[in-house]
Order: sequence, then C-alpha cells, then structure tokens
Amino acid sequence: METELTKSTFSCKLGILSRPDGSAILSKDNTTVIAGIYGPIEVKLQKLLIDKASVECHYRPKSGLPGIEDRMHESIIRNTCEASLVASLHPRTAVLVAIQELQNSGQLISCAVNAVCLACLHAGIDMKFMFGAVTCFSNGVEMSLNPPAQTHIKAVFVFVFDSTEKRVIASHTKGIFTKEQFEEAVELCRSGSDQVFDYYKKVLTN
Amino acid sequence: MSDGYKTLHPVKYYREFLSQGIRPDGREFNTFRPILLNVGSINTADGSAIAKVGNTTVVCGIKAELCKPKPDAPDCGFVVPNLELPPLCSAKFRPGPPSDQAQVLTQLIAEIITNSNCIDLRDLCIVRDKLAWCLFVDFVCLDFDGAVVDAAVVSLLGALKTVKLPLVEYDPALESTQVFLEEKKPIKLHSMPVSTTFAVFEDKIILKDPTLEEETLCSGVFTIVLKDDELCCVHKPGGSPLAPEELVKCIDESKLRTPLISSLIATTLKS
Repeated sequence: METELTKSTFSCKLGILSRPDGSAILSKDNTTVIAGIYGPIEVKLQKLLIDKASVECHYRPKSGLPGIEDRMHESIIRNTCEASLVASLHPRTAVLVAIQELQNSGQLISCAVNAVCLACLHAGIDMKFMFGAVTCFSNGVEMSLNPPAQTHIKAVFVFVFDSTEKRVIASHTKGIFTKEQFEEAVELCRSGSDQVFDYYKKVLTN
Repeated sequence: MSDGYKTLHPVKYYREFLSQGIRPDGREFNTFRPILLNVGSINTADGSAIAKVGNTTVVCGIKAELCKPKPDAPDCGFVVPNLELPPLCSAKFRPGPPSDQAQVLTQLIAEIITNSNCIDLRDLCIVRDKLAWCLFVDFVCLDFDGAVVDAAVVSLLGALKTVKLPLVEYDPALESTQVFLEEKKPIKLHSMPVSTTFAVFEDKIILKDPTLEEETLCSGVFTIVLKDDELCCVHKPGGSPLAPEELVKCIDESKLRTPLISSLIATTLKS
C-alpha cells in the first residue's frame, strides 16, 4: 500500500492574476487548474441572502462549454466553500469562485478544490478552516494515493477534509466498493491530507 | 400559534422538536417516509413508473430508439438519463433551461446508473458497430419535497423492470432494419441500486430521508447508494463536516432499506 503522496509533483504559484482578490495556479502530476476568488462583491438581487454572503462558483473546462459533469464539480466546490468561508461576516454580498481547467490527466476534482483553497488563502478571506482534497484509487485489493500503473481500477474516491479536526466535508466516489474498502479509503486519504496541508503551509511561508 | 412561530423562527422551531428526539412531522430521526410505486403508468412509453417517497413524487418514462453505436465502443448501447424540475414541483424553480440543481441531479443519477452497472450497455447492442438501442430515461419531478434522488432511483428500477424492447432484425447486405413490434422482450437488470439521503442538522443530528423543509434548514445533505451488499456511490457535495465514523454508521443504516425496496418492487410487479 502506498501511503506517501509523491510530494514533488505538486507545484503552485499564488497571485498569478492581477484582477481577482486571490488567485492560484496549482498542478499535480499533469493536471493543472487556475482558481480566482472575487469577494466580497456586489450580489445579483436574485441571489441575495440577508444573513450571509452567497457563494457562486463557475467552472470552465479546457475546451467547449461547461457540461453537466462540470456542474457537479461546481456544486462540490461551492458547497465546500460555503462550509469553510465565514459567510455571515459579509451579509448581502457575493463571493465569486472562478476555476479554469488547463490540463486534465486525472484527479481533477481534488486539484480544483486544492487550488480554490490556495486562492482563498491568498485572498485573505475569512475562513473557519482550510480544506484539502485527496484522491485515492482501489483495484479491489489494494488502495493507493497515486494512480496505479496498470489500468485495472475498481473504484476511485475523492474526499475533502477540513484542517482542524480532519472531518469529511465532501465525498465523491466512482465504481463499486465494500464498506470496509470505504473505511480504508477514508483513513488513507485522511493521512494523505496532512501532506496537502503541509504543502499549503510551505507555499504560504515561502 | 405554532404556525406563526414556525414561519418566524424555523430553525428554533426545528431545534426544539429535535432536542426532544422527534421531527415536526412525527417521525423519529431514523425513520423513512412511506414509499409508493406504480408501474406501467404511461402507455406511450416503453417502460414507466411513478414513485412517491412521502410527498416527493417522481415519474420516470423510458423511451427506446435505434441508433448507431459510437466507434470507440462498437458493442455498447446508450442510456441517457434526464431529470426535469418543472416550476410545478416547487416555488424554487422557474420555467426555462434546466436549473443547476436539475443538472447536478441528472449527473448524479447518470453516475448511479453507470457505477451500479444495473444495465449492461452490451445488452443494448443489436449488431456490432451497426445498430444499438438508446434508452432515453426521463424523470419528471411532480412534487419536490426532499430526497428526490431516492424517489428517482426507485422509479428508475420500476420503469426498467417494465421495459419491453421489440425484436429487431438487421440485414447487413441491404443495411435495412426490420422491427417486429409483436415480439417484445424485457431487458435484464443486473443489480438493484437503492439510494438513501441524509441531512445534517447543525453539525450534529443526522436526519434520514429529509423533507424539503429539513433539507433547506440543514447544513448539509448527502446520498448513499447501495447495490446489494456493496456501495456504488457515497455522494456528499460539501456541507458541514462529518466524522468518518458517522458516515460509516449511515452506510449501515441505509442497508436497512434494501430489503424494503426489493420487496416493494416485487409486490408491485406481481399485482
């Protein structure tokens, strides 16, 4: 079982765009995503909430228009941000999260979620906790945090954890698995998330 | 009096009920709402069903069309689900292009169908690289009262069980197809996915099978889909964080629903 995320494959740069309040480009393996945060900004009347800021998320695939799969990514990212950002500090405003996919060779959701968290940290927006996503692969017998070389994968798990108590904020799965495998995957990703949070720290302190 | 209190302080109203271990509709935290299923309700469709989970009502209709398989999967047919949330089902939805929520639910149902492998796409192929069935699975929500995915999955199973496809003959020399409408055959269902939705109230209390009111007041909703003893989807799109042990406990809870749903479908098909 591989429990070590190959750290060297992460690379990130903060503040690469000038217009957003916070932006980050993150690439892991060959998957690259740019995320930008605007907020708090003026809100459309339709989406105005009187007790908190509303979070909007726009996801752009690398080519063409966003499809229904991208809508699902958007909903995961939006709900994760809603849980993490202290929205009640800015009532009657909006926080806009924009994500542009540049390259996709797997683990896209976790790369996008991590890029959004780095952009939030760069924007300096108030957060209750940081969030980090980890993808884990199962071939029915073994679990691995890195995509296995052989193509036979039975299930893929994506978990988003919070940085304080390491609880599950979001979970998305593909394929068939047993309850025991699910528990194993959560534990493995939970330990893998430490490396993601360590990486955030490294990026911010450098 | 209590109606006014509920309108003014909905969260407080719920908190007071839940602190007594009961929900405002009289259910306990881990009680399901009753499920109703009616199959073969639409004559013009190839297969159809109506499912009601409490007040939530979803109609599922399946229409089969002949088409050409994709070159990269020459021995596979297609299953195209689509969930519609018309303005009739809730005040939240307006007429026009499908809302974000409808698109997310459609994608979730599509993932449940592929992950659970309930239909083998190879069964839908008639002649390799030439002819295959495309099943358009359309869902219309008539009453949007929480846990729509659960109702949609039940109606999907009911509709799939009633699908009958006519016999098709293909002449490769003339490239012509002949459809025998008199000879119809059901399709094989390889597994029975059963979905259960949960809602988390104020980071602590987990409510099973929530109503719309509960879903909007709660800080997170998640869906677990089981296929026999295995899982095929644990979908939690954000919301308040949960300890992994609690998720596992919910998986155990959702296992209780599988026998209920399979016996429901069996009795509905018999009568």
